[in-house]
Amino acid sequence: MVIFGITLLSAFYYESQKKLALSNYRVMMAQYAYIQTKRLKVLHHFFPDRREYPRDPRFTSAIYDIEFHKIFSLNRVESIRFDEEIYLTNGYVHFIKGLDTYYLGTRYLVIEVQDDAKWEVAIWKDIALYGTIAFVLFLLFGLYLAKLFLKPMRDSIMLLDRFIKDTTHELNTPLSAILANIEMMDTDVMVEKNRKKLERINIAAKTVSTLYKDLTFLTLEQEKKNEDEHLDVKEIVLDRVEYFDILARSKQVTFSLALDDATLYMDRRKFTRIIDNLISNAIKYNKRKGAIKITLEPNRLIIEDSGIGIDEEKIPLMFDRYLRFNSSEGGFGIGLSIVKKIVDEYGISIDVTSQKEVGTKMEIRWEND
Amino acid sequence: MGKRLRGVLVTIVFLNGVSLWGESENIFERNCVPCHQELPTSLGEMFKSYLLVYSSEKFVKAGIKHYLRHPFKSLSVMSDLFIDTYGIKKPTHLTPKELDEAIDIYWEKFKVFDKLK
Repeated sequence: MVIFGITLLSAFYYESQKKLALSNYRVMMAQYAYIQTKRLKVLHHFFPDRREYPRDPRFTSAIYDIEFHKIFSLNRVESIRFDEEIYLTNGYVHFIKGLDTYYLGTRYLVIEVQDDAKWEVAIWKDIALYGTIAFVLFLLFGLYLAKLFLKPMRDSIMLLDRFIKDTTHELNTPLSAILANIEMMDTDVMVEKNRKKLERINIAAKTVSTLYKDLTFLTLEQEKKNEDEHLDVKEIVLDRVEYFDILARSKQVTFSLALDDATLYMDRRKFTRIIDNLISNAIKYNKRKGAIKITLEPNRLIIEDSGIGIDEEKIPLMFDRYLRFNSSEGGFGIGLSIVKKIVDEYGISIDVTSQKEVGTKMEIRWEND
Repeated sequence: MGKRLRGVLVTIVFLNGVSLWGESENIFERNCVPCHQELPTSLGEMFKSYLLVYSSEKFVKAGIKHYLRHPFKSLSVMSDLFIDTYGIKKPTHLTPKELDEAIDIYWEKFKVFDKLK
């Protein structure tokens, strides 16, 4: 849009400057035409005793009769536009003067001079200079407008980030205390009623814990330096499945595992975030009595659920931060954006295939060094 | 014998003369030049006067043809002084075809095209 506007303005400027240059030529060439007409008058008088067409070092000329037939020409450009008074063509300026008295039958006298093109160089310099200045100004103005329009959105995101940062900081200690104490409780001696209540507390605490870890990762930990190591992927997957087992059982979701040995060189904390988010999503968006199948091969990990699935056109959007497709489930919509950030950092590919009401399949692939 | 021979020779020379006269003098020279020779302004000068007014071949020829058929003072390209002194010619007796032919010769003889350098 801006470029189009500048081009249009440049075209107008070019045309107006060209007209100005031609009007300068017109003054000069009208004088030449006057001189040449006088010479033609003399030649007419002495013709045919004198036959040499009058020449001038400053210009060349040609004479045409009333039917545009060439009587004589010294010009380099032969095709003439008789409907214009002055024009520029092929580097030559042509000025056409209509004679009232037809000396030697001359109705049109065409004066030709070579265009030095200095005016054109000056125009292009001006266009380049002012065009660039205008472009930069428009660009700055555009950026200012964009900032102005985006400011409310950016403010709300910053507010959310700040809120998360502030609150998560204070959650760790009480959450750790709850989880540790639940682990230490001897459930065997409990009555069934209390045991179920404790299980529910455990599930709720673990859900909050996962969320807490995601939030702290986003706000506090992601600046930390990576501590990469060779990970036993199978061991981590088994550990996390066990951790989420109680959550899965609450929805009567069953795991089926097909795990080969696999290693991966990366930060344990970050890999755990990937697994946690994929498994917790598979549970969260599963249906009751659903299933989760986890397949581990040396270079890839597949987590499939039998859940609600998502529309194909929404798949590219599912890694966007704060985006949730199902508001019936809690959460901030940050899980998959964390996953994406980590896999991108490590050059791991992630593929999603999903079918509505059938389930979603998440596959991550990596290359071992 | 001598008289007869002389008579034959005279006849041959005369006939040759007639035939040469017929070949060298065209319709323009026969019908235009004789009268104009008596005028102070040459046919060449008059041609330039036609050019000054009519410019192109087509227009010059049309102008001359029209004037020769309808010679009026108002149509003449010559000055008033010239007309007042020498008068207006009589309308042409040539047929249109002959007139065209004579004008064509006149144009070719005095035209500017291909003569400038």
